[in-house]
Amino acid sequence: MSEPVGQKDSQGSNQESRARPGQRRMAQWMRDYARLPGIPDEYIAEGGAPRPVWTRFFDAFAALSPADIERRFASADRHLREAGVTYRAPGDTSDRIWPLSHLPLIIDAADWRQLAAGIAQRAQLLEMVLADLYGEGRLVATGAIPAAAIAGSGEYLRAISGIKPPGGRYLHLYAADIGRGPDGRWWVLGDRTQAPSGAGYALENRLVLSRAFSNLYKSMNVERVAPFFESFRDSLRASAERDEPRIGLLTPGSFNETYFEHATLARYLGFLLVEGDDLAVSGDRVHIRTVAGLKRLDVLLRRVDSNMLDPLELDASSYLGVPGLVEVLRKGGVVVANMPGSGVLEARGLLGFLPNLCRRLLSEDLMMPHIATWWCGQKSAREQVLSRLDEFAIEGAYGRGVPGFPGNGPVLPGQLSADERGRLKDAIASRGVDYVGQELVRLSTTPVWENGRLAPRPFVLRVFAAATPNGWTVLPGGFCRIAERADARAVSMGDGAVSADVWVVSDKAVATSTLLPAVDTVRIRRIAGVLPSRAADNLFWLGRYLERAEATMRLIRALCTPLRDPARGNSTGAAPTLHSAERIQRMLVAWGATSQTARTNPAKVALEALQNEEKFGSALSLVRSAQRTATGLRERLSPDAWQVITEMADRLAIEVHDDDGVVSAAELTLQELASFAGLAQENMNRAAGWRFLDMGRRAERAVNTTRFARQFAYDEAGDEDLDVLLTLVDCQITYRSRYLVQPLLAPVRDLAVLDPYNPRSVAFQVAGLNEHIAALPSLKEHGLIERPQRLAVAIEAMLTTAEAASLDVKTLFALEQDLLSLADAIGLHYFPHGPNASRPEKLTGLA
Amino acid sequence: MIYDIRHVTTYSYETQVSFARCSLRLEPMSGAGQKLMSHSVDIRPKPSERTARRDFFGTLTESVLIETAHRNLRIDSRSRVSVDRQALPRDAASPPWEAVRDGAFEASSLGADSPVGYVFASALVPVLRTVTEYAAASFPPGDGIVSGAADLMRRIRTGFKYDPKATVISTPLKEVFEKRHGVCQDFAHVMIAGLRGLGLPAAYVSGYLRTIPPPGQPRLQGADATHAWVSVWCGTALGWVGFDPTNDLVVANDHIILAIGRDFADVSPVDGVIVGARKQKLNVAVDVLLVE
Repeated sequence: MSEPVGQKDSQGSNQESRARPGQRRMAQWMRDYARLPGIPDEYIAEGGAPRPVWTRFFDAFAALSPADIERRFASADRHLREAGVTYRAPGDTSDRIWPLSHLPLIIDAADWRQLAAGIAQRAQLLEMVLADLYGEGRLVATGAIPAAAIAGSGEYLRAISGIKPPGGRYLHLYAADIGRGPDGRWWVLGDRTQAPSGAGYALENRLVLSRAFSNLYKSMNVERVAPFFESFRDSLRASAERDEPRIGLLTPGSFNETYFEHATLARYLGFLLVEGDDLAVSGDRVHIRTVAGLKRLDVLLRRVDSNMLDPLELDASSYLGVPGLVEVLRKGGVVVANMPGSGVLEARGLLGFLPNLCRRLLSEDLMMPHIATWWCGQKSAREQVLSRLDEFAIEGAYGRGVPGFPGNGPVLPGQLSADERGRLKDAIASRGVDYVGQELVRLSTTPVWENGRLAPRPFVLRVFAAATPNGWTVLPGGFCRIAERADARAVSMGDGAVSADVWVVSDKAVATSTLLPAVDTVRIRRIAGVLPSRAADNLFWLGRYLERAEATMRLIRALCTPLRDPARGNSTGAAPTLHSAERIQRMLVAWGATSQTARTNPAKVALEALQNEEKFGSALSLVRSAQRTATGLRERLSPDAWQVITEMADRLAIEVHDDDGVVSAAELTLQELASFAGLAQENMNRAAGWRFLDMGRRAERAVNTTRFARQFAYDEAGDEDLDVLLTLVDCQITYRSRYLVQPLLAPVRDLAVLDPYNPRSVAFQVAGLNEHIAALPSLKEHGLIERPQRLAVAIEAMLTTAEAASLDVKTLFALEQDLLSLADAIGLHYFPHGPNASRPEKLTGLA
Repeated sequence: MIYDIRHVTTYSYETQVSFARCSLRLEPMSGAGQKLMSHSVDIRPKPSERTARRDFFGTLTESVLIETAHRNLRIDSRSRVSVDRQALPRDAASPPWEAVRDGAFEASSLGADSPVGYVFASALVPVLRTVTEYAAASFPPGDGIVSGAADLMRRIRTGFKYDPKATVISTPLKEVFEKRHGVCQDFAHVMIAGLRGLGLPAAYVSGYLRTIPPPGQPRLQGADATHAWVSVWCGTALGWVGFDPTNDLVVANDHIILAIGRDFADVSPVDGVIVGARKQKLNVAVDVLLVE
């Protein structure tokens, strides 16, 4: 994208005339910026002067005209929408677009260096604490950590105790939520050691903002984030036993609130996105079920919580994990990042012990302070909290929420009723271990853009560190969540919060930065060489849904078009007889696109078949099914392909009212389907994935075309029926150029079913299927030909040798059945629902 | 006393099962007033892999892999155990429950014996305010831990209905408590939840009861299946004491311990995943004979 700064001012060839309005704007913004009383701010320092890094930013920013700024904001928003950057808040049933603040949070490089050193030290300390807790246990035995501060955490996993973590460490990725306290220092608010989320969103935010403001971004000397991800990936690879390890990112699935992030990271890092069902334990190893059989997995980057990882040794009710995983860990057969059980260090009750632990384990002082926290499991702390209760925010000591009180956030005793307050006091007095008191602290605010003005908002910054063979490396930047409310501690996406990119900015030009690309580019890599069975399954069905949607569209169009164009056809010279329309209608009923079985107004049938969401076979339902299926394939689809599907679903959902509307909707959709097919054909790697998408499409088209032929090229079909068939299979032009006569039964049958050169014929689809099956890895047992191939070869032979004259309805029906069997055989053979690969279930009952 | 125990677990499946991975915790423990003399487990069909290890709680856990297609899985466990416990009277002198609570929270070990592992909610035992309040009625300030636990046990025995049809293993504790019915592991879970709510360490015990009672005594509830009860930490001096809320008994020589954990999930005798069965039926037969 080109970005001539100030291009809008057409006279603006000299610097001054451009600078003046910019300076005026900036002065205006500063005057309007109303800092919250008594709360520190990132932009404006204590004395009222703006901080230099922000001044540099706003200098450049103000040079853009207001219209230009709005345009760039809009382009950022459009990118987020088009890339499908989404998340789900708890309770959502569909994805929300990720709200991005248009201004970055800017942090001075010198300030950042200190912060990063503190984070790296903390990560190192936490790793050592974990190694002791699950290993020797000296810290608890000597009283450096009270046993109760650990035992109460649901993340203290007894099953993990004593296992030496494969890969040599517990923590591979660490995150901390931080905020700037009144003293100007960064404070840790909480540690994230389980499976930190947010790094993928940070990456996406950077891509969007650096693109929308590329010159501004370039001129600011912003530290790049890509090297961090490279180094994280390389370190995970290095942790494996094999030189060319296979790495999976374990996701709970597309219903998870941060699924988009899992897909983004998997694609960016070149890992396989896998769900528990995709994995199987065999021997002392974890394997991925792929279309080429079981393949060893070396490293599992998990976004599934520890307890859900293994129904045999951890939470028995979990369907998200892999039965036997803990046993494999015990035998050292797989690296899991982070090691199950690492989440125990997220317990707030531990915060207060870290300064001493740091001196003891690292022989140095803890660099970063954390929010002052009193764990009520200790008598003196408990008494302090109880005696000055209203001065604290009360939190649960181990997890989310305060035991005995609703909600996930802190309880502020000062805001409770007398009854509730009494109950809280009793609870702390009798089971103090469950509670911490935390200092009420006012964290700094950062500017956001609101209707052309700047406004201060509290924020929480999540920073990330990755373990490398040479120590911890910290992502320069992070994931910043900005609150709508004044209490930053309640920031989570879901209650009106937005996220922001984080720029670590050097105050003098960094020489090397000019050598870097203008934007943080995504390094393209090929997705690892194996195709998980589940992904193959989804691709196959994506192909089938889209093809079925296309066939439905063609039926709808055929039902409506003649009514608009009575001059069509050679013999009747008018609308198709009721007879043809009825046949089309019957097919739509059989496909579940409409329930109008009575002879009725074709427009009504067409409308229902087009967009009635209650009909599972309507075009809209089919496109939605395709969209759902595509959701599970996010890491494998190009953003363009995703966008086509999304737009198609959105547009089909817009209500149309008449024939014209139906026809134009059908035509637009057919164009979009063609453009998706084109994208797949032109842009997808010719790897196994593309083959399954294409097989789905070909299998479905073969079945549908055979059915069309049976319905409209039946033994007594008239030329009007045959005409409809030619339209449905898109062969009008071919037929007319070839035969120059009105449609006749045998030539039409030949063209639609047998002609191997016609890309819409059944024979052409079957030849394609055969080619794919032959190219796919063989799972050969006993050296015999496998069932999908056996069926496909037989059908192809039949089609090659058949003659059009002998293609009666009975033969066509048999062909249709054979094709359906072939589609099933492909599913059984390659996909996880096959007899040898189905999901394990629990033994039940009280044994 | 010496007991011979036969514990046969049979799963019958509607369709062929091609694969099973099981965890077995069938070896009675040694310690806590009993000693394992002999033990064997026979599994049909024959497993392709059997490995044994002690889990965190000290229970011998056998991992079993079966790759032969089968419709029935039969696990036949035989044990001989000698038991010698002193029965503790229900009104035995014991430290005040508040002191027991404070002692548990101040423990400096995360080991399986440490009381601190048994004062928090666990997979199947949430800490619920209603259950805690129910239990609190048995613990007036300053009362001894043993008499309090015995009173709570008695109230569960009299206030809850034994009904094998009322619950399954997945019935939540909240429902068991509200409806006041269930079987031995439900009662054990309720008692554990109440004690933990008060900060008192309570463990779940799986095991057996002698099948034929001593002459003149009634047959105990749960004697023909695996049984479950509660072990309460009664301070450093007394240690862990067994309470059986299903029978209102302080545990002595009629109970044989299989395994101890935080709740059923830690000790379930047979657990696992299978591939294939549409429907499954479970049959458990237990026979406990007094040898001498």
